[in-house]
Amino acid sequence: MIKRIFATTRLILFSLGVIMLSTHCERDLADLQPVEFPNNPDVFRDGFSAGLQYAAFGGSVPTAFDVDRNVTYNNSAASMRFEVPDVNDPRGAYAGGAFFTDVGRNLTGYNALTFWAKASQPAEIDILGFGNDFGQSKYLVSVSGLKVNTNWTKYILPIPDPSLLTAERGMFFYSEGPENGRGYTFWIDEVKFEYLGTLAHPAASLFDGQNQNISAENEEVINITGMNFSINLPTGVNQKVNISPYYFRFVSSNPAVASVSETGVIRVLSAGSTTISATLGGNPAAGVVNLTSIGQGIRPPAPAPAPTRPAQDVISMFSNVYTNVPVDTWNTRWQFSTAEESFIKIQNDDVIRYRNLNFVGIEFVSSKINASEMTHFHLNIWTPDPTDPPRSFKVLLVDFGADGAFGGGDDSSHELSFTRPILTTGNWISLNIPLSSFTGLTSRRNLAQLVLSGDLRNVFVDNVYFYKDTSIPTSPATAAPNPSVPPANVISVFSDAYTNIPGTNLNPNWGQATVVSQVAIQGNNTLKYTGLNYQGIQFGSNQNLTGMGFLHLDFWTANSTLLNVYIISPGPVETAFKLTVPTSGWSSIDIPLSAFAPVNLSNVFQMKFDGNGDIFLDNIYFRK
Amino acid sequence: MKYKQIKLLITALCAVLIYGCTADEFQKTEKRNWQLVWSDEFEAAAGTLPDASRWTFDLGTGQDGWGNQELQNYTNNPANVSHDGTGNLVITAIRSGNSFSSARIKTQGLFSQKYGRIEASLKTPYGPGLWPAFWLLGDNIESVGWPQCGEIDIMELRGQEPNSIAGSLHGPGYSAGNAITKKYTLPNGRFDAAFHLFAVEWDAEKIDFFVDDFLYQRINKTDVPGQWVYDQPFFIIFNVAVGGNYVGFPTSGTPFPQRMTIDYIRVYKESQ
Repeated sequence: MIKRIFATTRLILFSLGVIMLSTHCERDLADLQPVEFPNNPDVFRDGFSAGLQYAAFGGSVPTAFDVDRNVTYNNSAASMRFEVPDVNDPRGAYAGGAFFTDVGRNLTGYNALTFWAKASQPAEIDILGFGNDFGQSKYLVSVSGLKVNTNWTKYILPIPDPSLLTAERGMFFYSEGPENGRGYTFWIDEVKFEYLGTLAHPAASLFDGQNQNISAENEEVINITGMNFSINLPTGVNQKVNISPYYFRFVSSNPAVASVSETGVIRVLSAGSTTISATLGGNPAAGVVNLTSIGQGIRPPAPAPAPTRPAQDVISMFSNVYTNVPVDTWNTRWQFSTAEESFIKIQNDDVIRYRNLNFVGIEFVSSKINASEMTHFHLNIWTPDPTDPPRSFKVLLVDFGADGAFGGGDDSSHELSFTRPILTTGNWISLNIPLSSFTGLTSRRNLAQLVLSGDLRNVFVDNVYFYKDTSIPTSPATAAPNPSVPPANVISVFSDAYTNIPGTNLNPNWGQATVVSQVAIQGNNTLKYTGLNYQGIQFGSNQNLTGMGFLHLDFWTANSTLLNVYIISPGPVETAFKLTVPTSGWSSIDIPLSAFAPVNLSNVFQMKFDGNGDIFLDNIYFRK
Repeated sequence: MKYKQIKLLITALCAVLIYGCTADEFQKTEKRNWQLVWSDEFEAAAGTLPDASRWTFDLGTGQDGWGNQELQNYTNNPANVSHDGTGNLVITAIRSGNSFSSARIKTQGLFSQKYGRIEASLKTPYGPGLWPAFWLLGDNIESVGWPQCGEIDIMELRGQEPNSIAGSLHGPGYSAGNAITKKYTLPNGRFDAAFHLFAVEWDAEKIDFFVDDFLYQRINKTDVPGQWVYDQPFFIIFNVAVGGNYVGFPTSGTPFPQRMTIDYIRVYKESQ
């Protein structure tokens, strides 16, 4: 019925056009053919349908898709085969691509894309859908986590509003990564658009159907999310699809208070209340935004002081002064977090505003930050809230460790808490936090999360960056003191003053992250550990130290907060001795070997350091 | 197997007849002079219970889930059964965690009839595990028990097939899995998406089953493999069951709440 009305309307319009034009000019009527796109419903039945092309997505295995003439649904001539790669496949990380046409198709007479699928093993395909034309992909529809198994099964993806698809070019697309690290194969066949009278109960929603009550202030920008559509399938279960905002018509009941764009971006303009809702195909969508703006809110009267550190000494996450590294999100919306973020401008300076802040996760997982060369973490905050004790503001940094992933036993983190007098109300506060004070953060090569929390519900944030304070010396200005112990009383591991144990390996591969180098300081060869986590020394031969009394070390560090030294006998039997760090200039120490009990002093073959920071070492020897 | 083949052949023949003829005796009955004797148009205020002069309730969980391992608890709570204020009675099946509530209303002790036309216009619920029904039981169920009393199912539906209903007779020697039954399927529509008219026309010789006045099943007295027990008054039942032997369990994908929306029920007698 809808189709017929539409067709009739078009006929009338067309007739009107003909009449008007024919009375005004003498153009050939043949020029006035309305553009008619083909309404071919077939995408892939026994092969590519007319005009269908395929292109792989970037980073996917380019050859993942192929036509299969052996495994097909219901003995059809061919199916589409998709080979999902293993993790770390050099050809690509996943299988993904789109089938599209150059000339659009008129799909207004159909209400679903249907296909049959099976897989070599039970799996959940990350995403499948249609409407991806490698361009604007205006009318995208997709399903996430589609369950497939080893039986051929028919799948139905509804078209939320077919009347919009008058010239659709995106016929089908998919993207799927390995399942539990391993690749597999799935097949799809009989892909076509259909009109099914057995679909019922269409329902569209914003915010997954949850009404939102938002109190806002002018200039806030709120994105409508959770846009989806569901239809009840002939099996009685609902099929939910994620859909593009272009299927909705958004409306604000009071556009003077807040406007809403055609893609569902709400902009708060003035004080008052408005309801933002949407329709899809003329039917109201579930989930409306009841928005009340208090008008201009309390905000910093002036921007935060502009940073002045040279860009080469800075890794910036958020600042107008520097080029920022990518940050995945400034609000992960973790469970129990009530924080709402918005991005505002104060005299043209971009500032992040957090409201209802109890805690907020900030993630940069997809491009982790290596701050091992940096000395400080900086951020500016401004709060209108009371800051009298014990109110606090907390900063947590999380490093994902060598595996670069959350968990895995190698993560480290540390949280610092700030109170008055550092905190004040109504002033820009500059937090310059030495990274060495994050003592639990044993690595900062794979920083991936920042968490802000505390008692301040309203916090404006700017100039979030790591920096290197170049006024702090990063290496000793002078050589380590020259040893004075006679060579006869010494077994030397590392020193220019003695003959060292031959064949000693100063950088055995024990899986450490530490970077080992030797640098000349005033002509004196010095051992340098950069970014220490732990570091071994393998003696060229096992040493009997029973005649020796002490281990001598010269060490220097400006940024280490933890440093232990070990000697090791086979077993291994090892004992730590804690060194006082950071040092002011060179520290020299003679550690009684008895401090390393129960190490077998008659058979010592290794040494080890652990801790953090950058360490310079010299004159490592045992003496009487 | 042989029987099945013959039946298939007959079905095929019928199909030819349906297709070929405009006035097919199998699909349309002769016009009869039906006289309305009892009805409920469900014109009542929103939230009110069914008219107590016409309807009574089955409550609770019955024995063994009303003999079918059904999961629901029947209530007389307006949340489960009430008028919608726009001329319908709505039976609502509600999920609450792992338990389900719904309603079953009947005219037992208030109204029953032998023979005639009994029809209801209604929209079914849907979803795996939903089992709505519009059906009749013999008045003598209290004395002779089931299936001796007889059961005429005018409409029952499995929520996982919302485009198919079945009409059935259960009697002594042909009950439960051995009932006489036939499915009627909408090729391109669903019983939960719009109102449809379900009816039986019943006399001493036969019972005809209709969907939207389309005769899809005739059961003659001579077709019944056991005793014909349909020469006594029957009372009317509407219910929405959840789970049970006929339909299986609801799944996590079954949408709840689910509603059966009844526009009207009308009972006619043939005037002589």
